[in-house]
Amino acid sequence: MAQQLQSINLVAPAFKGVNTEDSPLAQDPSFAEIADNAVIDKRGRIAARKGHDVITTTKTVLGTESIRAIKEFRDDGGNTKIFSVGNNKIISGTTTLVDETPASYTITADNWKMVNFNDNIYFFQRGYEPLVYDNAGGSVIKLSTVSGAAGVASAMYGNEVLAAYGRLWTADFSSNKSTIYWSDLLIGHDWSGGTSGNIDISKVWPDGYDEIVALAAHNGLLIIFGKHSIIAYQGAEAPATMSVADTVAGVGCVDRDTVQYTGTDVLFLSHTGLKSFGRTIQEKSMPISSLSGNITKDIIASLQAETEFFRSVYSPEEGFYLLTFTGQNTTFCFDVRGTVENGSYRVTRWPGTGFTSFTRLEDGTLYIGTSQGISEYTGYADNDEAYRFKYYSPSLTFGDSSRIKILKKLKPTLVGANSATVFLKWAYDFDTTFATAEFTVGTQVTGYFNESEFNSTAEFTGGELTSQRSLNATGYGTSVQVGLEADIDGSPLSLQEINVMALIGKLL
Amino acid sequence: MNLNLPGYTGTGGGATIGGGLNLPGYTGTGGGLTTGGGLNIPAMGEADIPVDLATATAGGLGGLGQIAGGIGDIFGGLMGAGQQALSSPNALMGLAGGLLTKEAYDRLSNIGEQAKREAMGVAERGQAESQFRPFTVTTPTGAMFSTSMGDQQPAPTPMGAMAPPSGQFIGGASPLAGMTPEQIQAAMTGGGLAGGIAGGLPAPQPAAQPAVMPTPAGDGLQVGMQLSPQEQALQQQLLGGAGGFFGQAAQPTADREQAIFERMRAAQRPEEERQRLALEERLAAQGRLGTSSAAYGGATPELLALSTAEREARDRSMLTAMQQAQAEQAQQATLGGQFLGAGYLPQQQLIAATQPGLIQQELAQQAQQFGTGLFGETALSGIEAQLLAEQARANLLGGIGSNVISGLINQQRAASAAPSSGGSSSLGGLFSSIAGGLGSIGGGIADILGIGG
Repeated sequence: MAQQLQSINLVAPAFKGVNTEDSPLAQDPSFAEIADNAVIDKRGRIAARKGHDVITTTKTVLGTESIRAIKEFRDDGGNTKIFSVGNNKIISGTTTLVDETPASYTITADNWKMVNFNDNIYFFQRGYEPLVYDNAGGSVIKLSTVSGAAGVASAMYGNEVLAAYGRLWTADFSSNKSTIYWSDLLIGHDWSGGTSGNIDISKVWPDGYDEIVALAAHNGLLIIFGKHSIIAYQGAEAPATMSVADTVAGVGCVDRDTVQYTGTDVLFLSHTGLKSFGRTIQEKSMPISSLSGNITKDIIASLQAETEFFRSVYSPEEGFYLLTFTGQNTTFCFDVRGTVENGSYRVTRWPGTGFTSFTRLEDGTLYIGTSQGISEYTGYADNDEAYRFKYYSPSLTFGDSSRIKILKKLKPTLVGANSATVFLKWAYDFDTTFATAEFTVGTQVTGYFNESEFNSTAEFTGGELTSQRSLNATGYGTSVQVGLEADIDGSPLSLQEINVMALIGKLL
Repeated sequence: MNLNLPGYTGTGGGATIGGGLNLPGYTGTGGGLTTGGGLNIPAMGEADIPVDLATATAGGLGGLGQIAGGIGDIFGGLMGAGQQALSSPNALMGLAGGLLTKEAYDRLSNIGEQAKREAMGVAERGQAESQFRPFTVTTPTGAMFSTSMGDQQPAPTPMGAMAPPSGQFIGGASPLAGMTPEQIQAAMTGGGLAGGIAGGLPAPQPAAQPAVMPTPAGDGLQVGMQLSPQEQALQQQLLGGAGGFFGQAAQPTADREQAIFERMRAAQRPEEERQRLALEERLAAQGRLGTSSAAYGGATPELLALSTAEREARDRSMLTAMQQAQAEQAQQATLGGQFLGAGYLPQQQLIAATQPGLIQQELAQQAQQFGTGLFGETALSGIEAQLLAEQARANLLGGIGSNVISGLINQQRAASAAPSSGGSSSLGGLFSSIAGGLGSIGGGIADILGIGG
């Protein structure tokens, strides 16, 4: 007797992002096994990320290298200028990259950090004399050449710089990993006079020894990130009298460029994953949850394998925190709008993007540095080239892992993806060989008043294109994994749902 | 026969007929007034007469001859008067009266000389009897004060056996006695006195200085003082201590300042260390141990405050050490002065003790002088009485002589009142001859000088 088809509806699949930590069989279908080049869109669906549009047209000074850091200079006069670094140069501009490297200043590394402070932008990199630019001067110069500069010595050529509480703070020096220097009040080039000073926290580390990696200012605290511990100082407005407010042992920061401010918290990458400073302080007496708890192993593997730089950016407009391992050409996208049950952010992965740096401009524009120059995070193509969106569900048992499932039909519902070719895939019993069904999404052009919709016979839609197809599936197995891939080339794509029609077979 | 001229007091002089004329200021011999000649002055002694005048001969130059003629007239007149007197009985009476008068004169002269000799004898005896008599004052502690005059020997010590046995000291021995200033300085700066001056100092050396006694040497008053051996030892001890204190007061204070400063700092350091440790703990608890701010001299405000407090304490200690060292220096000087004053205290006491003796000696001296004066007055009274008696006798003789001469003169005056009076002619010839001679001398002098008419 023929059995009735059983419909298993995967609504808003993977809206909880990737989860590689839990057992596939026990996973919620809301997780995804793979979510590449995806984000969680505004409706909570998994969707294709935006592409990047290369702004740069002339990148002679960059050569074949990549943009390693980008920063927007702004002053009180409203002057702005985009600075970037790459190819051992200080570069300005977006369309045409201009070498701003001071004369007789040799650079052999591009791990600069740039901060705006009191109408100046400062460039710090370990072992290099800091550089400074202001609009009046119009050129990048060495800090020691600034009129009134004092105390600019190799001892304070730090790798980390922070502009906070009216001063510049620098740390992580070539031979000193426990001292923090601060400049005179509002004078970024005075490091030996006024109220400038330094503090050696080698005796303060909660676990005896650590090395300063990054600095942050949050909620009236000066946060000092070590590799394995964190120290928060209060009263940093008067550094000479600031005192320890809290310490956290066992949690540190991997790299200064993973620290991002979200307005209410500070995100940073520790050796065990992405962490929140606020939550770390709250939970220091309890098992500290990780914001990357669903991909902890992946993160740890990535950071351990990283040989180049860590780059990150927080975009409140996009609602994500991007973390890139440039050496592995992989970016993790954490959706910061909410967390899942275990307190982790929903995360997707952007492999092979070639992103090497980010910055968010004052207007919310997200700039991305690549080997092609400076790009803007916009559109749905990577510099007019398509990129592959992938979604794979975890292995599904439909509630009974002891019975055979025989897939009959797969009915994905897609939003957008005009003219995109979609590949629907399925496999049984953890097999990595997937069966594929291909279809092309139709084209839908939005019609507006007094346009052709109203004065021709062509058909137009009033909103996003929604495509729903029904594809015949083959094979059987106790567990089923369903996937969807599509090349994103100009149009967004969101996966609304996948309806799986299957027959439940006998017990094995 | 001598001629006594009024105003002439020389002896052995006088005009002698055929002898010589002794004039005041004339000491020559061999000269004389020759009868019928001029004045022969073989050599001018002390007379202020030019030689050419003295040796001028009559009949030479006109002026000189006239002078010689005048002198001849004078002596001629005199010689004539003498011859007339010797040839008259009244003249013999006059001569007797003159001799009586001379005798009276001689007696007066002799009694004056005798009175002078006896008075000098009384004076010498009074001087001898009023001469300073040496005396000695001995105090109950054995000190002696003695005096002598010139070659006098000091008075014997009435209590010469009361000197204490050698080695006994009054008031105990000072640990500084017998020490040189260098030794005292070393003891003071070396901590010997810092922890009490009792230990580590050499034993006192008893003084063995000889007594200071007046040694007869030449004229004048000799005063001597001799302390007892105990007092000498005490004085030596005190003066030695004074020398030590003065020597120490004269030393630079830098070393002492440093020593005081170190002791003060040693007292302050433990508390400073506790404060430092407490601050270090606070800073460590606050995670600020390594804070260095340029605004606070490369430290934290608390460290700067602590360091400032420590520096101020050091500064205060330094100033206090300087003041203390200077105070000690002043104290050393004061002690030196006190020791010095105390060193002379036995001497002062000896001098004070001599005051009653001096009063007694003064009383004795007054009695001695009174007796001597009384003796002198008595002796002089006797001499005076003798003088008065002799004077009366001389007056008596002189009166007799005067009466004789007065009688003669009165008789001569009466005879002169008659028309032929040889005496009158004799005296008139005498005075006219003298007047004529003086006129001739004046005319001669005028001729010599060329001022005559």
